[in-house]
Amino acid sequence: MSSLQEIRFALERYWHERGCLIHQPWDVEVGAGTMHPETFLRVLGPEPWRVAYVQPSRRPADGRYGDNPNRLYKHQQLQVILKPAPDDVQEQYLKSLQAIGIDPADHDVRFEEDNWESPTLGAWGIGWQVLLDGQEITQFTYFQQAGGIDLSPISAEITYGLERIAMYLQDVEDVYELAWSGDIRYGSVRHEEEYQLSRYSFELADVELHRRLFESYLDEAWRLLGREERRTALAAYDWCLKSSHAFNVLDARGAVSVSERAGMILRIRKLACAVAATWAAGDRPAEGAGA
Amino acid sequence: MPELLLEIGCEEIPAPWLPELGRQLETQLSKLAGAERLSPRELAAVWTPRRLALRAVVDTRQPDLEEQVFGPSLKVSRDASGAWSKAAQGFARKHGVTPEELQDAPKDPASPDERFLLVSRHTPGRPARDVLSGVFAGLLRSLSFPKRMSWDARLDDGKEGFPFGRPIRWLIAVLDGEVVPFTIHVLATDGQGDAPVESGRSSRGHRFLPREAAGRPVEVGSFADYVAKLEESYVIVEPERRERRIREGLEAAGATGAEVPEGLLTEWRDLVEYPTVVRGGVPEEFRRLPAEVLRTVLVHHQKYLPLADASGTVTGFAAVTNAAESAAPAIVRGMERVVVARLRDGAFFYDEDRKRALADRVADLAGVTLHQGLGSYADKAARLEALIEKAGAAVMEPAERADACRAARLAKADLTTLMVGEFPELQGVMGGLYLEAEGGAPAGVPEAVRWHYHPLSVDVDSAPAGQVQGRGARLFAAVSLADKLDTLAGYFGLGLVPTGSRDPFGLRRAGQGAVRVLLDFWPGGEGRPRPSLRRWVEAAAAGFAGSVKRSPDEIAEELNAFLLDRLRYVLGARGYPADEIEAVLGAREPEALDDLGEVRARIEALHGVRASAREDFDHLAVAFKRAKNILAEQAPPAVDPEAFQEEAERELHAAVSRLNGAGSQSYDAALRGLASLRAPVDRFFDDVLVMTDDRRLRENRQALLGAALALFYRIADISRLGG
Repeated sequence: MSSLQEIRFALERYWHERGCLIHQPWDVEVGAGTMHPETFLRVLGPEPWRVAYVQPSRRPADGRYGDNPNRLYKHQQLQVILKPAPDDVQEQYLKSLQAIGIDPADHDVRFEEDNWESPTLGAWGIGWQVLLDGQEITQFTYFQQAGGIDLSPISAEITYGLERIAMYLQDVEDVYELAWSGDIRYGSVRHEEEYQLSRYSFELADVELHRRLFESYLDEAWRLLGREERRTALAAYDWCLKSSHAFNVLDARGAVSVSERAGMILRIRKLACAVAATWAAGDRPAEGAGA
Repeated sequence: MPELLLEIGCEEIPAPWLPELGRQLETQLSKLAGAERLSPRELAAVWTPRRLALRAVVDTRQPDLEEQVFGPSLKVSRDASGAWSKAAQGFARKHGVTPEELQDAPKDPASPDERFLLVSRHTPGRPARDVLSGVFAGLLRSLSFPKRMSWDARLDDGKEGFPFGRPIRWLIAVLDGEVVPFTIHVLATDGQGDAPVESGRSSRGHRFLPREAAGRPVEVGSFADYVAKLEESYVIVEPERRERRIREGLEAAGATGAEVPEGLLTEWRDLVEYPTVVRGGVPEEFRRLPAEVLRTVLVHHQKYLPLADASGTVTGFAAVTNAAESAAPAIVRGMERVVVARLRDGAFFYDEDRKRALADRVADLAGVTLHQGLGSYADKAARLEALIEKAGAAVMEPAERADACRAARLAKADLTTLMVGEFPELQGVMGGLYLEAEGGAPAGVPEAVRWHYHPLSVDVDSAPAGQVQGRGARLFAAVSLADKLDTLAGYFGLGLVPTGSRDPFGLRRAGQGAVRVLLDFWPGGEGRPRPSLRRWVEAAAAGFAGSVKRSPDEIAEELNAFLLDRLRYVLGARGYPADEIEAVLGAREPEALDDLGEVRARIEALHGVRASAREDFDHLAVAFKRAKNILAEQAPPAVDPEAFQEEAERELHAAVSRLNGAGSQSYDAALRGLASLRAPVDRFFDDVLVMTDDRRLRENRQALLGAALALFYRIADISRLGG
């Protein structure tokens, strides 16, 4: 029986052996591994890129005060980007399951249609959810567009839900019962955090402050993008991510009306698209540095 | 004759696309190879999620082609000096001959003197293998997918990109044992090179089976060989054989009695290459949940088939896997874990939701927005009540109306429950179930709440057919009709009317639903008047007075036209020919929306009687078209029998009077009687000149024809039959 961290090590080693840079989580709040600049920005432009990292992903509205055995305010995604997608990308993925002790021949492993779209990032892709005996364990996507830009080459994105997979492998029904390491449970590491952050998002977050933050984050990003000298896209992108998180907190707090919602998402998307355009137009590392 | 075997090996194609892609593959190869004179025949497409395959028989080679191509007129072929003109030289050059080799002939046998230059071209036929190689690019590009993806591929046809449904990873193209060459270029992982997919004779078996040989290439020759070899590799390529295997598996799992929901079997079949049925259990503690909740979790979310015991309690499920039988125990354990997690949520929601009465939730609807311009669901609930109160007054007794209003008030309250939040497809259903569980609701109210989103399809047997009766049916009909008309009037009021293929709010479906409620679900009889759709539309539009930019009158006018159109659509979907629909709706156009039950009775009668007396009706249709043309604009005075001059007038008059005096009878009987007018009408037109100069005679004859037409008008304007 593998602990959560052993599963993570095994996957990182597996992808390390296949030429991936093993990166760190992005240190700004994000809702998914896709928002990490190593995905969102690196999939733009022609340079090949291979990277893997674990990204703690915050979804304030999914918080359940630590009471729900399956839902979390913050969960861990292990994200892999292969650009361009190799022709045996599915086989490589399936072998990674073997690396963590899942032999597909003993199970029912399927690729069922599930396309992905992020309205805030102006991004979408075609792909599947991978089901292991009826449980979704991975999202597999061929990115088609990011930041409103049509992509070429096409990247494959593989997103493992680490807690889900670990629950399956350890045969536990409550996420807090997972063995994080050999002797420390997930609950003792994270339960209090889940409680406090759920409470914050649903009850305590200062709505007026977050509205101001949302506006200020957007303003700061646009100020950076509007400067004449270049090389501001990365800094602007952090503020874009911050605005997205502020929006998520407001949303969880019930402070976003239906009519407001679409408008706010659109404002984040416009910013994300502007960042992507600036990056693609030359704000990225010099030719060859990424290869 | 040579057999072509084609296999497009793909990453998993969405199951719902496959049958249509199989059809397209057959049609397109038939079209493209046909255009190349290879006479494709005996086409058979098969598929699994990872492959689209096709077998076809073609000719060994194209027949030689003899063509005659006309050029410029002979008159302009030489200039004044007798030398070949520029036009003639150009034509010869274009076809690779010298001007001396040109012939001439008339294009049109009727004008033998107008001769044109002519070149006879002989194109020798090419071998099928060479031709097919050139057909594949067009074939692959011709397949249309609900959604395509770009995957860094291109073909050698000079066109930009090559989007497809999913990436292609291998390709078989074999003609009589020989590979037909074809290449798809794919960007290599270095971002520059080419990692091409070349056609060959090598297929792939099941991803994981047999365990010891999974992933090994499978070399194939003929189609029969292909089917057999793949089966050895745990891939059943023929969809109907996978379906059979599933049926047998269900039987073996003891699921014989279970009704497989429509579409599930096809989807199951096309999600896997090697279907194996397994059976899992639903733990005792969850069996108390309403069957609808269990079914939603099992069918909609997991695509499992609920299995019930003799008492109807769901005790387990059957599922289709893509695995070997030996893996079943481990797989079922995994499936049960997922089901239990979902049902645990379901049980929690069910218990939490019932802590509050549904009626207490109505106030919460103020926080649920319907649409920016149309207010909240609380506003909607209030409008529905007012609408039923007003429009229902003429057709429902006060007590019944009060209950319908109550159902309307409660109809949307379940939108605030946890269960509907998690499983939106249970909207309406949960409201009905919670009301029933609370007890105390008047008879019919829970059913009305439960079914009011229906009818969703135009199919006459679709829900809630057979589920609601009597009072329950009337309450359902009132709430359902009010809900749909309120939605329609609101969006029409905002100017958000469906255009072309754009109908983001599902308004056409709402319109069809409204029409169907009155056609199929609002029982008449017992001396009760039936509701007028126009009156309801008027009342629904009035509900938005002052709150939307259009006036109630504008809304009602546009909505009536829209509903009349939906009525045509629904009748058409039931198989009534367009001319019968127009005949029935055209006879009393303004009133058609006043009694749809009547419309249904009239079209049923017309359709039935016309089928049994086709010739009479065709004949009468022609006669009445003629009659309509010569009828005066203004209704002539009543028929005066004293003014008849011809026997044919008297005869027709007698027939019309007899039919007029027949008293009340069914539309069916009435139409049968009317068919007997054929002979006197014919005779009338043969013997009588209507448009005579004698005004008195003319008007009297017009009046007689008008009276004959009017007999039909009660049922249908039969002059519209026959297009």
